[in-house]
Amino acid sequence: MPRMNEKLRYWMLVLPALAVMIFFYIWPVLNIWGISVTEPATGLGNYTKMFDSNAVRVSFMLTFRIAAITTVVCLLLGYILAYTISNFATKARPLMLGLVLLPFWVSVLIRSFAWIVLLGRSGLVNDALMDTGLIATPIRFMHNETGVLIAMVHVMLPFAVLPMLTNMRGIPGSYMKAARGLGASEWRAFRDVYFPQTLPGVFSGGLLVFVLSLGFYITPALLGGGRVMMISEYITYQIQEFLNWGLGAALSVALLVATAIILFVAGRFVNLRKTFLERN
Amino acid sequence: MPRSPLRIFFATGSWAILAFLVLPILVVIPVSLTDTAFIGLPKEHLSLQHFDTFLHSPEWLQATWTSIWIGIIVAAASTALGTAFCIGCWFLSDRAATIARWVMIVPILVPPVVQSLGFYKFWVTLGLIDTHFGVILAHTLLALPYVTISVFAALTNLDRRIPQAARNLGAPLILAIRTVILPSIRPGMITGAIFAFIVSFDEIVGVLFLTVRRVETLPKMIWEGIQESVDPVIAAVATILVILTLLVTAAAVARSYAATKPHPS
Amino acid sequence: MDTSDHHFQSDLAEIAAEKYKAGTLSRRGFLSAMGALGLVPLLGNRALAQASEVVVCNWGGQASDILRDLLGKAFEEETGIPVRVDGAGPSAGKVRAMVESGAVVWDVCDSGAGSAIVMNGAGVIQDIDYSIVDKSKVLEGTALPFAVGNYLFSYAMAYNPTMLPGGAPQSWADVWNVKDFPGMRTFRKSVRGQLEAAAQAMGIAKEDVYEFLDDDGIKAAIAKFRELRDNIIVWGSGSDSQNLFLQGEVAMGNIYSTRGFLLREQMEPGTFKMTYDGALLQPGMWVVPKNNPAGTETAMKFIATVQDPQLQAEWFVAIGNGPINPAAAALVPAELSEWNPNTPENVAKQVIYNDEWYGKNQVSAEELYIDALIG
Repeated sequence: MPRMNEKLRYWMLVLPALAVMIFFYIWPVLNIWGISVTEPATGLGNYTKMFDSNAVRVSFMLTFRIAAITTVVCLLLGYILAYTISNFATKARPLMLGLVLLPFWVSVLIRSFAWIVLLGRSGLVNDALMDTGLIATPIRFMHNETGVLIAMVHVMLPFAVLPMLTNMRGIPGSYMKAARGLGASEWRAFRDVYFPQTLPGVFSGGLLVFVLSLGFYITPALLGGGRVMMISEYITYQIQEFLNWGLGAALSVALLVATAIILFVAGRFVNLRKTFLERN
Repeated sequence: MPRSPLRIFFATGSWAILAFLVLPILVVIPVSLTDTAFIGLPKEHLSLQHFDTFLHSPEWLQATWTSIWIGIIVAAASTALGTAFCIGCWFLSDRAATIARWVMIVPILVPPVVQSLGFYKFWVTLGLIDTHFGVILAHTLLALPYVTISVFAALTNLDRRIPQAARNLGAPLILAIRTVILPSIRPGMITGAIFAFIVSFDEIVGVLFLTVRRVETLPKMIWEGIQESVDPVIAAVATILVILTLLVTAAAVARSYAATKPHPS
Repeated sequence: MDTSDHHFQSDLAEIAAEKYKAGTLSRRGFLSAMGALGLVPLLGNRALAQASEVVVCNWGGQASDILRDLLGKAFEEETGIPVRVDGAGPSAGKVRAMVESGAVVWDVCDSGAGSAIVMNGAGVIQDIDYSIVDKSKVLEGTALPFAVGNYLFSYAMAYNPTMLPGGAPQSWADVWNVKDFPGMRTFRKSVRGQLEAAAQAMGIAKEDVYEFLDDDGIKAAIAKFRELRDNIIVWGSGSDSQNLFLQGEVAMGNIYSTRGFLLREQMEPGTFKMTYDGALLQPGMWVVPKNNPAGTETAMKFIATVQDPQLQAEWFVAIGNGPINPAAAALVPAELSEWNPNTPENVAKQVIYNDEWYGKNQVSAEELYIDALIG
């Protein structure tokens, strides 16, 4: 059978999905660039407006700060979980895994709703604290950055745990045992032998959490009290309230470029293929 | 095994973190049983009134049904497209195929608001705004990355020589795929289809941009409900979904216990 | 040349008309098939029964029920055309999406002056036909070419006395006084109706507010928000502001008087107060989206019907929408008139909305306002 013909057949399998993706997804997303330089007038007006705007700058900084804090907290908590699941928990392992994955399947919207119920001024947490007499006036957990961070960590934690678990699964326990056998304390063995080997998983989980956090909309919109306006909410606000598609599009392009730069830079330290393409 | 401080720290920490992950979700259950008209714990007795409201509300039921059938179509469409795509890439296994696979996962990386903006403009041109087909198409695109990732993962475990042998014996490509490849990657396809369904069933940002009034999905009703008035009916809906998730998770955990039991550990 | 152009145009129109017909037919076929499957029953009806009903869109909740039961019923009695009310919230973004999609569902929308300007700029709403709608039945200055007043409301100061043991705030200056009046405040997530409050908090008399709010005045007023921002929760929609009070999230704020009117009954006695002192009085606006399904004339007729003074007065009693028709004020029950933003006493306490100022400054002020609040 001629080789070329064979290849063509395989491409016939690839093509339908690829064509649909390019035509209905990639093309419209690239077109946002077009909107940003044509609405309301042709030119770079939206970009000068964007760079001149202090509000945009604040919103971008806020977005990066929240994404960074979310990432760090998720990595810390996620590491503890991943380490326990892969090294200590033998009997409890399936249960723990199930519990990590459980929130994964519950929609972000419902989880945000649950946080609203819990964290409100007359929410369950405040009620409980007041009833037990621990506090006299309600604490503000919600309608501020704290609320957004709590809910975002909750959403992103499984995304941090899974890559680390995959990575730790590949680390043989014998290294640690050897180090211990040579007289290292458990802590030293962990720090000097085990931890460095888990770094690829940590980076991979961190990148995933960070990139996904940059685009968050639902959680900050519902728990931020309007003042924690991350860039996605800023875009939506410009478009829904003021029909300001040009500026919304310019902001979108900026967010996309920022994401691309992060991926490009991270590509030097993180195995992007393992992080995104070969995720389990 | 001796209980070292390090171990105790990790173990207690882990259970605390798991509680943080799971307990907040469960809070919707008692709230849904409240006998009051506002969000809170039941005051005098437990009440199923909010479930009753849900089950007798044509709007909620309609939206639930819409989300289910859209999810099923999306799962079917994206699994079919995605599986063919992965098999093609797997056979090709060249640079172009890898690039194509990267193209397929772009929707994971693009922020939801940004992609919805792109959809909106193009859907206007195509006349797809506020149509079920428009939502199905958008959701299929968003589900494709998850399908391709899980199907391709299943394919990498497959021995390349088996289908090749079938082909060498003269079996047409389609036959080789149907009889040799598909049966062995079925778990990956099922996982992909479930992912695709969930992606569609939970999707909100795209729906907010692409629909106005004719298409109502469950997430859109919940979103509007939270914005309009924090109503315990949402807690009832959330409880139903959370309990379904709990049951499925419990079944999965039980299965993996059953599977590990015969092996002495 | 001229004639050929003309022909060309009429030709185009004919083709367009034919395409439209064909489109309608295939759409109907598609819809009735879907309807038969039980997938979109509501939708099927609507598309088949063009112009046999009017769909009015407002912002949901009780306001929708009352619009349907009061104004809707009156219109049906007069014309035989039933009115359906959709509470989806006709934001500028949604109206634009609907018009651009070519599948307009709404005939008449409850909008505001600021949004109407935005929508008119985007070319998605129709001009009002003042041969059907009566200009003399609305407050002077609320009959714009592309929108017409439907009711009056205010951005008013509201508070929860039980959360303020130190006493009730008397003025906007008190709202800015965090020391003596602790607690969270709520302001709108848009500059509309907000800078007027800040200006008064700085001691500007209500008559001079817009004069004060030139470029420097805007900056100064916005600086007031920056100063207060750690005590602010922002409301996006009217129902948002209602929830913030209902759930005790805020102690005071600047909210729609119509929402205050509802909270007066929803909240426990003694937990809610509202004052028109220093409030901003402004008109709500009817707008008609382009290509509305019931046709321009029917939409205009609906707007004209609900201008009736008796209806306007009843509408106020039901939901607190101040009558736009000056003739209705006399028909409002005396015991409720303190809640009517449009009585002479209440008007005298308020700043009157200045659409010229908004036309000129809204966009730039909005940007500064958001900048002051976020972060």
